[in-house]
This record gives sequence, structure tokens and C-alpha cells, in this order.
Amino acid sequence: MGPALDRRLGASPLGNRQLGQSFWPDLGNLLSAVTRAMWITLLNLFRKPVTVHYPDVKRVYPDRFRGVLALTYDKETAEENCIGCRLCEYICPPQVIKVEMLKTEKRNFAKTFTLELYACEFCELCVQVCPTDAIIMMKSFDLATGDRRELLLDKDRLHTIGLQFDPSWATGNGLRDMQTPPKAPAAEHAKPAAEPAKPAPEQVKAEGKAAKVEGNAE
Amino acid sequence: MDIESRQVLEMGYGGAERITMNMGPQHPSSHGVFRAILTLEGETVIAIDAVIGYLHRCHEKLGESLTYTQYPSIASKTDYVAAMTSELAYVRAAETIGKIDVPRRAQYVRVIAAELQRVASHCVWLGTWCLDMGGALGGGATVFLYCIREREDVLDLFEALTGARLLYGLHQVGGVRYDIPAGWGQQVRATVDKIDRRIDEFEEMLESNAFFMARTQGVGVASRELAQEVGISGPLLRGSGVNYDIRRAEPYSSYGDFDFKVPVETAGDCFARYRVRMVEFRESIKIVRQALDGLPEGPISSRPGVKSVGQVRIPKGEAYARVEGARGEVGCYLIADGGAKPYRMKWRGASFSNLAILPHIIPGHKVADVVAIMGSVDPVFGEVDR
Amino acid sequence: MPSAIYSFIVGFIVLNAIIGMVTYVTLLERKFAARMQSRIGPYRVGPHGLLQPIADALKLMMKEDIVPRLADRRVYNLAPVVFLIPCMLIFATLPFAPGLGVADLNIGILFFLAVSAMEIVGLFMGGWGSNNKYALLSVMRAVNQIISYDLPFVFAAMVPVLLTGSLKLSDIAAAQPDVLHWFVFYPVIGQLAFVAYIVATLAAENRVPFDILEAESELVAGFRVEYSGMKFALIQLGEYAHVIATSFLGALLFLGAWDGPGSGSSATLGVFYFLLKAMFVFLLVTWIRWSFVRIRVDQILAISWKLLLPATLVLLMATAVVVAWNGPSLG
Repeated sequence: MGPALDRRLGASPLGNRQLGQSFWPDLGNLLSAVTRAMWITLLNLFRKPVTVHYPDVKRVYPDRFRGVLALTYDKETAEENCIGCRLCEYICPPQVIKVEMLKTEKRNFAKTFTLELYACEFCELCVQVCPTDAIIMMKSFDLATGDRRELLLDKDRLHTIGLQFDPSWATGNGLRDMQTPPKAPAAEHAKPAAEPAKPAPEQVKAEGKAAKVEGNAE
Repeated sequence: MDIESRQVLEMGYGGAERITMNMGPQHPSSHGVFRAILTLEGETVIAIDAVIGYLHRCHEKLGESLTYTQYPSIASKTDYVAAMTSELAYVRAAETIGKIDVPRRAQYVRVIAAELQRVASHCVWLGTWCLDMGGALGGGATVFLYCIREREDVLDLFEALTGARLLYGLHQVGGVRYDIPAGWGQQVRATVDKIDRRIDEFEEMLESNAFFMARTQGVGVASRELAQEVGISGPLLRGSGVNYDIRRAEPYSSYGDFDFKVPVETAGDCFARYRVRMVEFRESIKIVRQALDGLPEGPISSRPGVKSVGQVRIPKGEAYARVEGARGEVGCYLIADGGAKPYRMKWRGASFSNLAILPHIIPGHKVADVVAIMGSVDPVFGEVDR
Repeated sequence: MPSAIYSFIVGFIVLNAIIGMVTYVTLLERKFAARMQSRIGPYRVGPHGLLQPIADALKLMMKEDIVPRLADRRVYNLAPVVFLIPCMLIFATLPFAPGLGVADLNIGILFFLAVSAMEIVGLFMGGWGSNNKYALLSVMRAVNQIISYDLPFVFAAMVPVLLTGSLKLSDIAAAQPDVLHWFVFYPVIGQLAFVAYIVATLAAENRVPFDILEAESELVAGFRVEYSGMKFALIQLGEYAHVIATSFLGALLFLGAWDGPGSGSSATLGVFYFLLKAMFVFLLVTWIRWSFVRIRVDQILAISWKLLLPATLVLLMATAVVVAWNGPSLG
């Protein structure tokens, strides 16, 4: 149901209701305005309110909910997943993550891992790049506090959060698997390569001078 | 001669006492932080001087310091009410320079997201406009809460898709980051059907209301010539009789596959712009249904998932990519130099250009009309100030 | 002497009752409005929000009272009081049950209408004394509006007076002994007069759609913009008291005052019915308030002078003709 698009100047599909024409039409318009608008409000008076009685009742969060961040342990070996590679530190747009690596003979760990949750954007890019699925997001945002320093999460706190709430669906490998196109080349796919595509130097030379390109159909 | 003196002479006001009133940056209906210095004669506005810049956050400089993998999440924050539009403009610019194809499934997901985003953004527009006109403690608040109630359902859809409700980070160079979860299609259809019915209610409540019509018809008329000269875009332009929609003029992201009407009204007043947006609600819903029906299988990105911050490198080139946002033409002009970060990035904010029409259409109206006109122009100051 | 003490005590009780009622009427309005907007109103403070008005009152009492430096201090400080006094005074003439009222004047309704129009003085003092352009602009519009709508208000209220033949409020109430005789059910004239009364009430109290006085989205609380703390509370008190007083008057004039099943025998039941009907009128006004957008000031004035005034004038004359034909209910 939609009104016809070609209509006279300023006319409405529900009739031309104007004020200031003359007495009886004005009166009629006023009365009809009153009854119609009041009818809609009366209807809503008897609809159930949409209020969710938080915090007594909590909403069901969807699988992919981006909540607070946490560090995880490996399921089999109960070791920390984080290898201190600092990829998350580099990709974070507001630069809230700071990591120091600790090298041991077998594998690397994170010596310190701080995350400033008060400046975090919850963009999930750190989760996206993590090679070991160490950092993930939880299905909860409930960390409100009166002191900002409590939101400067250190490694222990991040691990505690990881055990406290339900994890969200997204992990680094999961996201990358979802996004990476399959290896078999097909007509529509562009570059199915697995390694990051660097622009070949020949391509840059072939471009020559910068050419102004308008946005066109892809 | 400054604009105030010129308008005073043009309108023939002479000698009566004039006061300068400030609709300051803190105001319930300035749609964000916006300062309008009004010169009044009695109740009539003679001149308006707009002061912006209260929300400037150096997006263009951020664009130079963040890489192509990091910036799409930040791009949301320019137009935070219709966030995915800005992301789309940025990634399209990068893809145009780098000649990167986007798989068809990703294009359809982008279209669904953009149109749902338009529905949500217009909900905010309608709610806040009626709020401005009716008062926070009056009928305006009622329409506002109804619109927000519908918008919450659309945000639930986005939450199921991306995990976030307001600022998404859905797009990446080469496609989208998230694929459609199971059951999302049904959820979308149910929500969209419900919103379709509720829009009928809103139209009924507003258009049969003589008060609403009296406040919007004939108010803030922008003629066709003025609209084209000043450089506005979007529903403002289409409300003044110019049939221009980027989705039709230069179809991007598979918009050519869909069948939808572009509403155009000739009156140029607030009511015409309102009608344009109400029809856009319905057309967006139509597009979403078509996209869901025809959703192709395939990958959601033509590039592998982001593994490191400098992964995406765009060769030298420049491009200007524009999309039809809820407010008008959102454009991103990108100069790439072969590295992981752009050399320069410029945003063309739709609201920034749309605000230019205010000094032309407001003088001559009463103070009460200023809020009605500003609401129908629908600025979002994240886009204006960037 | 005893009668003076008696009147003092009665007046004291009525005044306190009004204040108590005003605070709880704000809660009623908030919950009613919330339900119309798909939400719940105040819920947490006390069971279902019943202690919310008390919390609000305490908050307003504890707020800092800021007076702008350039404000005209005497005018600024007196304005809430000058606004409040007429709003409280009109309750004096309302009879809550046969014989139960502070002062049942012979010119009851005339006193009511005249005194309720005096609040404009308080309004204007507030707007002027604030030394604020928003306040001044809003108050000038408000004076314009209230003056324009007082005439239709008076004419609409005169219809039951004509039908009764007396200005005394208890007489008007007594002229509606049972449901069929309620003036709102009087063929044609009663309904039209009731509708005109409601519209004029909305305008006389600056309620949406006629609330250009406060116009929250344009003028940010209008003449109240510079008031805080207890002075703001007094202004709110005055406004809501006025709304309730006109609701009571509407119930008395049109809905039969204290008439209802069993009210002939028991006076408390009569008071209860009166209260119920006043609340009905109040909810009607509230329902309209939460359904409409505001109209511009020149359109408001156009409606008043070009529409409502001629309509109520014609109505009054028609009533006069009917009364001359049938004769009044009382001598």
C-alpha cells in the first residue's frame, strides 16, 4: 500500500486537510484531525509495552554480540592461547592494546597485556587478526563501574572475564574462514590467493600517472 | 554587503526593532551540536547565520593515519545514524582505485544493509522531526517513541548480522566481513512486514492531522533552480522536483538488478520532503525483499580475511566514490600511493552540503518554522563536521 | 469568630489536598502517557512508581536556587507566587459536595473565570524578570494566546450557566440531578459546548497542541527557563493546579458534578464521583496532549479568533434561544 507518486502540489493521499480555508471545512478538518490521531494513541494504550525490565530481565543476546573483550585458555592444554605476537596491538584503530612478548624455549607468551576498555571501539578487528583465537568478545557488556581505572584491563582481569561470561561466536580463525573466498577459482572470483595480495610493482608502474576515476558499476 | 543586510533590504523590512537570538549548540532541537544565530523582527526570522564545527574529530587526518583495514570501522562515525553508508563510500573508493572486484553475494549483502540502514535512519528522522514540532512532552514524543520502537527491531537485525547495534564495521575492502546467519532472512522479512504496517499508522496519524499539514505545507520552499544551484542532494533535491538518485544515475553494488521507484515531489516544501522520505521507506523495504529473494551463493569477499594491519595495499591512483545515503550523496575522495594507508582522504558529507540551503529558505518564516525546516533538512552533525 | 476559624481550617485542608493531588496527578499523567507510547512510566521508585512524586518534590527542594545576575530580582522572585495564587484561589469556589466547599459564592463561576485569567500577570512577570530572550518571546506569545482563548472559554462555560439560570456553582451542579440531565447530554448544545470547553481549556493552560509557551523544542521551557529549585516547583504546582481546577470545573459544568449511583445519600460518595469525573476530563486533556504536534502561534490565534470565537458565540446565542423557549431550570 503506497500513495501514487504523481500528485498535485502538496496534496496528500488522505485528503487535503488545510487550515485557514473557511469556517466549515476548517471545523471539519479539525475534528477529523482530533479523532484520527487520538484513535492511534488509544490503540497503543492497549498494546503491550515493549519495555524490557533490565536488570531483572535480560535480553537474549544474539550469537555474534560484540561485548567486552577477554583472553582465553586452550581447551586441551589449559595454557594461555596468547603468543604475544602483537598483531592486535597494531591493528587496533584507537590503539588501546599494549602487549609485551615473553620468549621461552617452546613458545612465546604475553608478558603484559593491557587493554583500555574505556577507549575501545568494540570493532572486533583485534579478534579478526588473532592467529591463535586468544582474544575474543563476550556476550555481555556489563562492566559499568564508578572508577575508570577498573576499565584498564590487565591480563589477569581479561582471563577472568573470559571465564565469567559467555563467549560470542566470533574468533579470529572463524572470521577469517567466513571471509576468505574458497581456493577453487571460478568466473566471478577475483583473487583467490591465500597470502595477502601485495600490489605487484609492475602494476604500479603500469598505472603511470594517477588517473582520475569516477565511481562506476562494479 | 553581508547576507543580513541584503535580505533585510530585499524583504522590505525597515526600522522595526530587531533582536539577535541564539539557537545555541545546546538546544533540544538542533539535531546535534549546531549554532544558529537568528536575527528576528518580532517573530519573523530575517537572517540566519550558521556556526558549525562543534563536532569536528579530524576524520580526514585519521584517514591518513589509519590503514585500509582499520578505517572502515571508523568511517561509521561520520554519519552515525546511517553508519554503513559512509563505510560503503570509503571501501568503494579503495576498490575502484585498486580495481578490486566484489563478489555478487557481498554486493547483495551490502544492498540489504544499506536499505535497512535507510529505513532505520528515516525512523530517526521522522521521530526527531515530530519531536521538534510537538515538544518533548507532547504528541511529538509519542511519534518519536513509536519510530524508535520500529528502529529497535531493525537494529536487532543488524545485531544478529554483525554483533553491533549502531556502529558496525560491516564492510571491508573487497566485500563484507560478516555473512548472513541462519534464519536471518525470515527475521528480516517479519520485521520488514511489521514496519510496513506501522508506517501506514504513522502516515494516518500525521497526514490526516490538520495541525501537521498546517505546519509543513508551504514552509521552507526550495525551488528547483535554488536546489540545483546550492548543491543539495538526496531527499531535499527530490522534494524540489529534481529526479536524481545515485542508485539510478550511476548504479553501484548491483542496484541495477532491483526494481524500485525514485520518489520525486515538485512542491519543494517540508511536506514534499516528508512525502519523499515516506515513499523511500516503502521502496527500501521493496528492495530488501528483492535482494533476499535473489541472494546468490558465493564468497562474501574477494580478498582473504584481514590477518595483519598492512594487508591491503592499494596501488597509486585517485577515485571519488559516492553512494546514495539516507541524507543525500555521501562521497569519499581517496588518493592512494601504493602503501597501506591512503595519501589523502576527503569526505563529502551529505548534510554539510545540505545545510547550505538554510540561509536561503529560512528567512521570512517564523521561529517555529525554523525547527520544522531544520528537521526536514535532517542534518547529522557527524557528517557536517567530520 | 468560630466561623472564621472554621473557614481557615477548611481552607487549610483544601489547600493541602490540592497540593497532594497535584503531585499524584503528575504521576498519573506520566504513567498514562507512557502506556500510550508503548512503555511503562515511573516504575522503580516505590511499587510501580508510587513514590516518584515524593522523590521529585524532595529533589526540587534540595536544588540550588540560581538567580541570574541581570534579572530584575523583585519581579523575578515574585512571579512564581503571583502565578500560583490565582491557581489556588479558584479552588475556593468549587463545591465538592452539596454544602461542602470553602466559599460557595453567588457569582461562583464568574469569580473562577476572572481569577484564573489573572495568572497571565504572573506569567509575564516571570518572562520579563528573567532577562532572557527565550523567556520574553515565549511569554509574549502566551499572553497573546491566553487572552485570545479566554473569550471562547468564558462563552463555552456560559452555556451551562444559561441552561441553569444562575452563576452559583452549586446551583449548576444541582441542576444536573441524574445522568440524563447532565449538560453534556443536552441535545447538540451540550456536546458542542463540552468540546469547545475542552479546546479552550487546552489553550488556556498552555497544553499541547497550544503549548507555544513552553515549546520545549524551540524555546526550551519558555518562561520557566531561568527558574530552578523551589521556584520551579511553585510554577509547576500552579500549572497543574490550574489544570485540575479546570478539570473539576468541566466535570461540574458538564458531567453532573457529584451525581452518581448512591450519591444522594452519602456525601463522600459524591466527592468520590466528582473526583472520578474530574480525572476523566483530565485524562481526556492528557490524551489530546500526547497525540498532537504543536501548531504555530499565528495559526493558534487564527483558530481562536476565526473559528472558536464565532462558534462559541453562535452556540451561546442558540442556548439563549432554547432557554427562552423552555424556561430555565431554576427561577
